[in-house]
Amino acid sequence: MSAAVLGTIVGLGVLSPARLKVLLAHHDAVDALERLRSGDLLHPMVSRGLPAGRLDALRAAARVASVDQMADALDRCGVGVHGLHDASYPAALVHDPEAPAALFVRGDLGALESRRVGIIGTRHASAAGRATASELGSVLAGEGVAVVSGLARGIDAAAHRGVRARGGPGRPIAVVGSGPDRHYPKQNAELWEWVAAEGALISEWPPGVEPDAWRFPQRNRILAALSEVVVVVESRERGGSLITARLAADRGIEVMAVPGSPRSRASLGTNQLLVDGVAPVTSAADVLMMLGLDHRREGSVPFDPRPQPDEVQRAVLAVCEGEPSNLDMIVSATGFVVMDAALAAARLEREGWLIEAGGWFEPTGSRLCP
Amino acid sequence: MIATVDAATILGARGHPVTVEVHIAKGLPGFVMLGLPDESCREARDRVRAAVMSSGFPWPEKKITVNLAPPHYRKAGSGLDIAIAIGILVACEVVPVDAVRGLAFAGELGLDGTVRRVPGIAPMVGVRPDHDWVVPADAVAEARVVGTGMIRPVERLDQLVEALTGAARWPTFDEAPSVFVEPELNDLADVKGQPLARLALEVAAAGGHHVLFVGPPGSGKTMLARRLTGLLPDLDRDMALQSTMVHSAAGVALPAGGLLTRPPFRSPHHTSSLGSVVGGGSHQMRPGEISLAHGGVLFLDEMGQFAPSVLDGLREALEEGCVMVGRVEQLRVPMPARFQLIGATNPCPCGGNGTLSDCACDERSRTRYSQRLSGPLLDRFDLRVAVHRPDVTDLLGGAPGESTADVAARVARARRAAVMRSGGLNAELDENGLNEYAPLDDQAERRIRDEIERGRLTGRGYHRVRRVARTIADLAGGSDRAIQEGDIAAALAMRARVGLSAVGSAT
Repeated sequence: MSAAVLGTIVGLGVLSPARLKVLLAHHDAVDALERLRSGDLLHPMVSRGLPAGRLDALRAAARVASVDQMADALDRCGVGVHGLHDASYPAALVHDPEAPAALFVRGDLGALESRRVGIIGTRHASAAGRATASELGSVLAGEGVAVVSGLARGIDAAAHRGVRARGGPGRPIAVVGSGPDRHYPKQNAELWEWVAAEGALISEWPPGVEPDAWRFPQRNRILAALSEVVVVVESRERGGSLITARLAADRGIEVMAVPGSPRSRASLGTNQLLVDGVAPVTSAADVLMMLGLDHRREGSVPFDPRPQPDEVQRAVLAVCEGEPSNLDMIVSATGFVVMDAALAAARLEREGWLIEAGGWFEPTGSRLCP
Repeated sequence: MIATVDAATILGARGHPVTVEVHIAKGLPGFVMLGLPDESCREARDRVRAAVMSSGFPWPEKKITVNLAPPHYRKAGSGLDIAIAIGILVACEVVPVDAVRGLAFAGELGLDGTVRRVPGIAPMVGVRPDHDWVVPADAVAEARVVGTGMIRPVERLDQLVEALTGAARWPTFDEAPSVFVEPELNDLADVKGQPLARLALEVAAAGGHHVLFVGPPGSGKTMLARRLTGLLPDLDRDMALQSTMVHSAAGVALPAGGLLTRPPFRSPHHTSSLGSVVGGGSHQMRPGEISLAHGGVLFLDEMGQFAPSVLDGLREALEEGCVMVGRVEQLRVPMPARFQLIGATNPCPCGGNGTLSDCACDERSRTRYSQRLSGPLLDRFDLRVAVHRPDVTDLLGGAPGESTADVAARVARARRAAVMRSGGLNAELDENGLNEYAPLDDQAERRIRDEIERGRLTGRGYHRVRRVARTIADLAGGSDRAIQEGDIAAALAMRARVGLSAVGSAT
C-alpha cells in the first residue's frame, strides 16, 4: 500500500524532483499524503521558498488523487516502486546528489548488478551512427555488459536493438522520461516491452505520466548515474546527449565519444567532446578496456555452436566478408542463380553467420569486434 | 424538309449512338443546334456552312434546325460535322434520302471541305457495327478493326457527295500494311548485372504482380520498367479491341494496322493532375493514363511525389479493373483500367545509395518520406525490389544479360501454366487459391514460420510472398510441384522497404 501512496505523491505533478525528495526525507509517504490532504503543517524545509499558490495546488491535487487508482495502475503495469530509503533502491543511485525520491521499475533491478555502459546519442542519427550504436550494443551484450539507454529515437533505440539482436547475456536497462507505461516514441513500443521483459525499465515517474519535454533532461541524470561509462555515439552541436555527458562527467563517470566525419552534423557534438579530451571509441574493445574487462579469451578456440556452412554458403559468406553485400552483389560475384543465393544467405543469417539489415548482409564478426 | 442521319459520339472510352435530325423550313435564315452540343460541337455550324459552300453546294438561306438525339447528355467534339453537313444536303435534296440509309458518318470538316480525323473513330464505329461507315481516310485502319459493315474512307466533302449521289464511285485508298511488327526497342539484354531486379521483372511479367522498385537515382529503375512490356505476351483479341478503343477515344496514335496488339506502356509525370491520370474532364470524359495503360503497364516514376489524391484514385482501378468517372447531370462512364503497376521511388529523401554509410537522412525525414506512400497502396505491390547502382565491372565489362526474347518465352510458359492451373495469373490468387494451388513443402513452411515468429513477416506479407514464390517456382519449370525453400528465400529477398532505417527495423 505504501508503494501506491508513494506513487500517488510523486504523481501529483506539482513538486520538482528535488523538492519531492525533501518532502519524503522528512515525512514518510503515508504521513505526507495525510498532511497534504488535511492541511496539517509540513516540515518547514518543504515549503521554504515555495510560492503559496504552489502549496495550495499541491494540497488540492492531493485531495483528488486516488491511491486506489495508483495501486491499480502499478499492479496492471507490473511496476515496482523503490523509495530512496528502501533497501531495494539501486546502490549506484543512492548516494547521488540528485537521486530521485522514488524509482518506478518494470522488470528486474538485478540487471543493474552487472557492468553497465550507457550508449546515448542524438535522435537525428545518421544510418552510420545507428549502425555503430547497434554494433556496440551487440558486442557489449555479448560480453555480458548491460547497456543503459533512453529508448529515444535514433541512437538510443539502435543500441538496444543491437542488444536484442545479440540476445544476451548482457541485459538492457532503459531510463525513460515518461511513466513506465507510456511508450514514447510510439514506434519503439515493442522495444520498451522487450526491455521491460528482459532487463529493467526505469522511470522516476509513476504510470500515466505523460512524456513532457522538460522530463527528458531530468531523466538524463539518472541515465548518467546508472552508467559506469557513457558512450556518446552521435550528437549535434547542442543536445540532450551533451547534457548527459556533462552530468556524467560531473559525477566522475567516464565519458567516451565515437569520432565522426567533420562534415556530418550528427557528429559535431561528439567531435567537440573529443577535442575537449574525452576518450575516443574506435572499437567496442576501447569500451571494454575502459571497463577494465579483458575481452580476449586466451588459449583454445571457443566452441562454435553454429552449423558449418556448406559449399554454396561458404562462397556467399566469402563475398560478404569482403564488404557488406546485397543479394545483387552476391549473385554477381558467385554466379549462383538468385534462388540459391537467396537461400544460402537466408540460412547463413538464420544460423548466425550473417546479419541482415535492409537487404544488406554482413558477417556477425563485425568490424568493431576485433 | 426533314432528314435523319446516323452518327456517334464519344463518352469516356465508349461510343454512343447519335441521330442527327435536320429540319429546313421557311423562316428567317438561321442555324440552330439542339441536343446539348458543347462549345466545340456548336462550332460545327460555321464549319459546316463554310465546308458546304466551298465544296460548291448551295447553302439554304432558310431556317435550319439540327437536333442531336438523344438529347439528355452532352455531345462534345467535332466528329458530328460530316453527319450534320450530309443531313443538311439531304434535307435540301442534294443527296437522295435512300443514299444515307444504313450509313453512318464520323469526321470533322475543314472550311475548305476536307474531311479530318477525330479521336474515337474506333469506339464510334463499334457502337453501330452493322452500319456502313463513312470515316476520314486516315482513320480507316482503326475503323476496319471494329466495323463489320463496309468502311468508306473519304478525303473531301464533294467526293463524299459524288459517291452518295452516284456520280462517282466510292474512292479507294492504298492501305497501310495491316501486319506491321514494331521492333522492340528496349531489350532486356541492355540491363547489365542487377540479377535481382531482372528476376523481379520476369516474375512480374509471369505472375502479373505489381512491382515497386526502390533505389537511388541512376540505378536503372526507369530502364527496367520500360522493359516489362517486352516480356508480356501479345494482347488477346478482346483486350486488344478494348485498348484500341481507349487509345482511339483519347486520340493517341495507333499502330499502322489500327489494332493495338502489344501491351501499352504509359508513364505519366509525377505532376500530372487527377483528371489526366484517372480520366474525366468536363464533358467528353477523356480516358486517363490508367485507361490508356489498360492491358499493359502503368509506370509511376518518383511515386511518392504524385499528389495523394492521384495515388488514391489508382486504388479503385487496381481493385475493380475499371474506373467510374461521373459528373452531375451526366452519364456515369465506366472506363476500363486493368493494368500492371510499376512504381519507382528513392529509398529516402537524399536518394542515398541505401548503404549504411552513404545516407545523410535522419530517421524522421525517412519516416516522413515513407509515409507519402499509403499503406493500402503499398499493399498492392507483391514485389518491392531494392535496386542498386550496377557494379562497375558489370557495367563496363559484363556480358549482356539474357535477351527479352529468351525471357519472354519462359514468361509465356509460366503464364500458360498458371492459367491452366487456376484460371488466372498468380497475382490474382486469394487465400483459398493459395491454399489450393500454392502448397509449401516442409522446408519452405519452416522458413516461413521462422520469418513470422521473428516478426519479420506479417500476415499480408505472407500471402504476398507465397504468391511470388508460386510464380518463381513456375518460372523454374516447377509449375506442378509444391513451393520449395529456395523459391521462398528469393521471394523474401524481393521485399525492400521504403524510408526505413537500415538498422534494426525488422518487420
